[in-house]
Amino acid sequence: MIERELVISNKLGLHARATARLVQVLAPYRCNATLTAKGREVNAKSIMGVMLLAAGHGTPVMLRVDGEDETAAADAVAGLFERRFDEDS
Amino acid sequence: MAVGILLISHSGIGSALVAAASTMLRNLPLQVEAFEVPFDGDPDHLLPLASSALRRVDGGDGVLVLTDLYGATPSNLAAKLARIGTPVRRVSGLSLPMLLRVLNYPELTIDALPAVAAAGARNGVLHDDA
Repeated sequence: MIERELVISNKLGLHARATARLVQVLAPYRCNATLTAKGREVNAKSIMGVMLLAAGHGTPVMLRVDGEDETAAADAVAGLFERRFDEDS
Repeated sequence: MAVGILLISHSGIGSALVAAASTMLRNLPLQVEAFEVPFDGDPDHLLPLASSALRRVDGGDGVLVLTDLYGATPSNLAAKLARIGTPVRRVSGLSLPMLLRVLNYPELTIDALPAVAAAGARNGVLHDDA
């Protein structure tokens, strides 16, 4: 299992489009993935699950990935966070 | 394996949901079309139109038909549509969470998708006072 602490860096936070991007990035990987924020752990491969976090700009979230391709999945998600979910702000 | 998705709704609802889902997901992983029933529509004229919409989304693995209001004309039309041959499963209570969840499971079969759709809609309702 890999844990990575990430911070929501885009202006709008984990809103619908950002969440959809995250779920799409994770979809090809077979590992389990969860996000934890504000004391709540959700399935990071579920759009409504991630939206339940209602995580705004600057919120720290913990990514947990567990499975054979966990390293690649963690890198992919970290990259997406660094790119601010491919949004411009 | 690719199931088609047909939204059958009252005017203005289905196409708006498809547009919102397309913006969020960019490329939809399944064939999705909205068929909207006007309030003064004649059900006999609507059936052939709905049937051609059904054929357009049908990739040969069945079509999941999502309707907005159980018992209303669009869902009654969907019931008729289900009897014309193409394997059709129907779920009512169409919402954006329902549509997004279905599109998050594009690899599933027509028999598995109704439960996915229903759970999506159910889980989308939250008492939002926290």
